[in-house]
Amino acid sequence: MLAVQPSSIKRAAENRRPARTALPNWRREQRRAFTFGLLPALLVLVAITLGPTIYLIVTSLTPLDPVHPHSAADFSDPIGNYRALMADRRFLNSLEVQLKLSAATVVLQLAVGLGVALLLNAGSRFLEAVRTAFILPMVLPPIVVAVVWKVIFTPDVSPMHRALTAIGLPVHSLIANPDTALGAIAVADTWEWFPFTMLMVLASLQMIPAEPIDAARIDGAGRLALFRYILFPYIRPTLVVAGLFRLIDSIKAFPLIYVLTNGGPGTATEVTNYYAFVESFNFSYWGYGSAIATLMVAGVLLLSWFIGRLGVEAERDD
Amino acid sequence: MISERAVVHGAAVLLLATVLFPALWMLQLSFRAGGDIFDLSLTFTPTFDNYRTLWTGLFPGSFSNSIVVSLAATALSLLLGVPAAYALSRCRFRARRSIALWILATRMAPPVAFTIPFFLAYRFLGLIDSLAGLVVIYLTFNLALVVWMMRNFFDSVPRALEEAAWIDGCGVWSGFRLIALPLAAPGLGATGVLCFILSWNDFFYALILTRTRAMTAPVAIVNFMQYEGWEWGKIAAGGTLVMLPVVVFSVVVRRYLVRGLTAGGVKE
Repeated sequence: MLAVQPSSIKRAAENRRPARTALPNWRREQRRAFTFGLLPALLVLVAITLGPTIYLIVTSLTPLDPVHPHSAADFSDPIGNYRALMADRRFLNSLEVQLKLSAATVVLQLAVGLGVALLLNAGSRFLEAVRTAFILPMVLPPIVVAVVWKVIFTPDVSPMHRALTAIGLPVHSLIANPDTALGAIAVADTWEWFPFTMLMVLASLQMIPAEPIDAARIDGAGRLALFRYILFPYIRPTLVVAGLFRLIDSIKAFPLIYVLTNGGPGTATEVTNYYAFVESFNFSYWGYGSAIATLMVAGVLLLSWFIGRLGVEAERDD
Repeated sequence: MISERAVVHGAAVLLLATVLFPALWMLQLSFRAGGDIFDLSLTFTPTFDNYRTLWTGLFPGSFSNSIVVSLAATALSLLLGVPAAYALSRCRFRARRSIALWILATRMAPPVAFTIPFFLAYRFLGLIDSLAGLVVIYLTFNLALVVWMMRNFFDSVPRALEEAAWIDGCGVWSGFRLIALPLAAPGLGATGVLCFILSWNDFFYALILTRTRAMTAPVAIVNFMQYEGWEWGKIAAGGTLVMLPVVVFSVVVRRYLVRGLTAGGVKE
């Protein structure tokens, strides 16, 4: 089987060689220089993202906590944490809370963001300035957003509670009531993040060619018909991507919950991210917390992969 | 008859006022004197009392920690990320696409997933409650952003100029320094500002990885809630101070801000 003619190998080598030497020397040097520029960033990225992720997964296979220092290398029951999670009521509850919060905030943000974008989508300098001001909630430090809403939801200092009392409709604190706490957080979160959808929709509205819109207008299309049949089909992919981005980010919700409710009352607003934080840093069950975080990463990667696929499809359409 | 334009403008202003109201309420709270905070009246004599007490406490230390960490994290991520972005823009690497995907994945990853391993490693290395530790963990989101944004900026700088320089015997990196970088300067500035804002805004990492020495301003605000009772005036004043640089910077780079905020979402 190995009886390959030496001459044929030589010929193959000769065939390849001219192509190589055709590449001028400086081009190869250039390539080396580019690699040299790319390498430090790549190495650092590997060290600070891939490294910790692997370490996280390894830790999730151990019962690591500070009381048992040798538990870092205890792999006697690698899926113990995961098995315990499946029977952990508090974890399952956190998934449910997460699902509710994510669904509510994504839908609200898409609706409000789309509405505001449509209102502001006219080419005037004035509206352009207004658009910039609308971005504010999203660039504010998340902790400031949390403080702002803590004020709104604390009856002592809240203008909302004052106004409601003044018109004879006093309400108890919304964040201290397990039935309304999650809704209150959803409102604050929507306030913070609707500008994201707004920006994305505005960007895609500006890319719509003028011809179909003009044609529809000439044919007598009303405002609603114009939106339904011309604008909406154009911005639908953007809405899907914006929704998926917000869905992924909603999994990371933290400062609002930390400041407004601390996960409570009870566990009414304890999302999975918050539960992972509590297990890892309030109780120091690092192994257990790592298992929750690993599951979260898996979920996020799955969603990212989905976005990636959408991106590939969009590229094909171009 | 009122024009449609006027109606739209009026509605936009009304909506904007509603949206900004909660933030403005916090702002006015910070200028109220202690006894005035629970007052029902809308008029009051503004004072700087809250800011003055804030400035005599431990808050200035946290505030300067925030500045130092954010500046260092920005500088380091630009230093590492800008050459990498240039290389990715000018050279067709085979792994180009997977690098882009990886960067997107870093942006998506939940912070708690990074925090646990970093926390454990920092305990071992003695980096808990250190500014250096924060700077390194801020690279996890900043570096990806720099590479992502700067690649787009370099893509929009025409190659022809550099190619001419290369033919004249200019090396790759002197071409980068003398031609591409100056042309991408506005983008560089915007990217830097965005990195600064992201580091400045961080709460989660600082909450877990710092105690007292390296505490940043956002964590300090939360501590007003927990240890010193509910001092609304101080909380509002601290919140205002933390929000100030972000608002100023946002106005300065508003044109590029949109690009950075929707990075990965909108195809350029």
